[in-house]
Amino acid sequence: MYKLFLAFVLMVLSVFIYLWQQNTSIRFAYKVSNLQAEYDKINSENDFLRLKINSILALEKMDKIATEKNLSRPDEKSIVYIDYDPLAQK
Amino acid sequence: MIKNNEKRINRKAVLVSMILTVFFLLFAKLIYVQIFLHGKISNAVEKMVKCENIELSKRGDIFDSKRKILASSVKKYTIFLDPKIVKDFNKVRDVLFKNDIKIKEKNLNDFGKISYVPVAFNINADVVDKIKNEKLRGIGFESKYTRQYPEGRLLAHILGITGSDGSGLEGIEKTCNECLRGDCITTKMRRDGQGRIIQDKLVDKTKRQGQNIELSIDSTIQFIAEQELRKAFDKYKAKKAICIVQNPKTGAILAMVSLPDFDSSDKIKDIKVLRNSAISDIYEPGSTFKIITISAALEQGKIKLSDSFYLENGRYKIAGHTIKDDHKIQGYAPLSKVMEQSSNIGMVKIAHKIGNEDFYKYIRKFGFYSLTGVDLPGEAKGLLMDVKKWNALSLPTISFGQGIGVTALQIINAFSAIANDGILVKPSVIQSIEKIDSTMLDNAFESKEIRRVVSVETAQAVKKLLKNAVDFGTGKSAKISGYTVGGKTGTAQKVDSLTKTYSTKYYTASFCGMIPAMNPEIVILVIVDEPRGISYYAASVASPVFADIAKRVVQYLGIEKDDVK
Repeated sequence: MYKLFLAFVLMVLSVFIYLWQQNTSIRFAYKVSNLQAEYDKINSENDFLRLKINSILALEKMDKIATEKNLSRPDEKSIVYIDYDPLAQK
Repeated sequence: MIKNNEKRINRKAVLVSMILTVFFLLFAKLIYVQIFLHGKISNAVEKMVKCENIELSKRGDIFDSKRKILASSVKKYTIFLDPKIVKDFNKVRDVLFKNDIKIKEKNLNDFGKISYVPVAFNINADVVDKIKNEKLRGIGFESKYTRQYPEGRLLAHILGITGSDGSGLEGIEKTCNECLRGDCITTKMRRDGQGRIIQDKLVDKTKRQGQNIELSIDSTIQFIAEQELRKAFDKYKAKKAICIVQNPKTGAILAMVSLPDFDSSDKIKDIKVLRNSAISDIYEPGSTFKIITISAALEQGKIKLSDSFYLENGRYKIAGHTIKDDHKIQGYAPLSKVMEQSSNIGMVKIAHKIGNEDFYKYIRKFGFYSLTGVDLPGEAKGLLMDVKKWNALSLPTISFGQGIGVTALQIINAFSAIANDGILVKPSVIQSIEKIDSTMLDNAFESKEIRRVVSVETAQAVKKLLKNAVDFGTGKSAKISGYTVGGKTGTAQKVDSLTKTYSTKYYTASFCGMIPAMNPEIVILVIVDEPRGISYYAASVASPVFADIAKRVVQYLGIEKDDVK
């Protein structure tokens, strides 16, 4: 009788484990699917922002703004070149 | 009592047999469904659950030599309505209106019986998210990659354009379409009862994306060239203007401008503007071509730097035609003076020493009447009559750059060969093509030596002559402080299409120069086609533009000053 009960418990347990892993794999599949969608979204947002930065920093636009602000190109003699090594500061 | 018991037993038996019958029937049905209908049902379920999504992969980006983005693709959305599913049309209209999307139709009936009505195009993802959050019924979104050019007009001819299907139609977009476009991405998915998607097979989308391309073009140099050239283009109300900046040692094109131009992001109204004049248009080079005559003669030993030539007092009759010099020189003049004053007569005399066959050979050796092989579509090879068909005027006129058709790229490449001590290099616009795993293609776009055209000694002698032409001759306006400049002006008469003779109204003014003169790091060509105004001479139209560009470019590149005087 005890052995029969044990066999029954084992059978129920294995069915339970099977159902649990099936359920978990589906839950993970949902999670992966959501994360993948989020990743794609962030990726395309990143591309969009990168492009926006480049559009803002477009040379033609910068030049237009500089002209509007009455900025002019410095005379070559008034430019002071400094030997700057960013690694030397560290 | 016994009867009652018998009845009870009978009832039990009937009940049990009924239950057993029900179970038997259920079991029979189960067997029928599981075994006989198995295939049909599983097919129906598969159809309901499984779905396949095919989308175009992201087109590769195009960068300049400093990794600045010149072209990239971003996801944009088309918003559509299904009027049959829309429940609250007013709410849908209000939500869309809040996001600057207007719908013409006032009622759902106005749409007719269509199930797909696109209402907005090229909508950004953030707007789509806002609309999605409203959880409206009957509204859908379709994503598509759209090509964007953040620098606008800059580099329009180099980058080209793409069609509505995303394939390249002009410029680098066309040449490198195969690399840029990538593969189509097929994603297999499963849907649950509520329509939610469960990823079935993960696809690494990055592996199927288009490859990125890095150009040799430096957008800052391109901007400088474009800005200065546009000033001259507007000032002289020219028909066309071209500027090319090249590294003579590698052949890398640092800037290439053709005016008029266009904005790659805009709709192209006039198809003519798509033409990249720098590689597709043929022109008569005029005096800039004289370096070919001089180089050939020096290389063949037909002339020496110390030679003098009688310049016929500015008028020289040949085969019934009179060849004139703009700067009349009386009596004899040394070779350097011939070059400085750009004497046509001197050039004719030098060409006669070379002879037809050898002169033709050198023209071809310098890359004329052949494609340079630049990585851009629509390159022309120029015009040059076969040497066997040359008449008595062919050699003399070609010697000073008339009667031959060349492209701007061929001329700058020939100057670069002299700057590069006699070695002709293949001009290139592409620096590298990036693989998905970020490694570069091996040697595919490294500088390619085509051939040695003249010896180092000849190249050095020609460079000296070019330096003199700027220091003391027609190219004086191309001088820039702190640097030695070598170069040659060219004012070529154009053929009048009506009279079929050389016009006295239309000219092509050009200047091609190198800095520093004796060990050049950059070569710049400026061409202004049909300038209108007080002067049409290259010395006053093209050379100053060269100087303005060169001044800013040498400062940007940090080229060391070599003229301390």
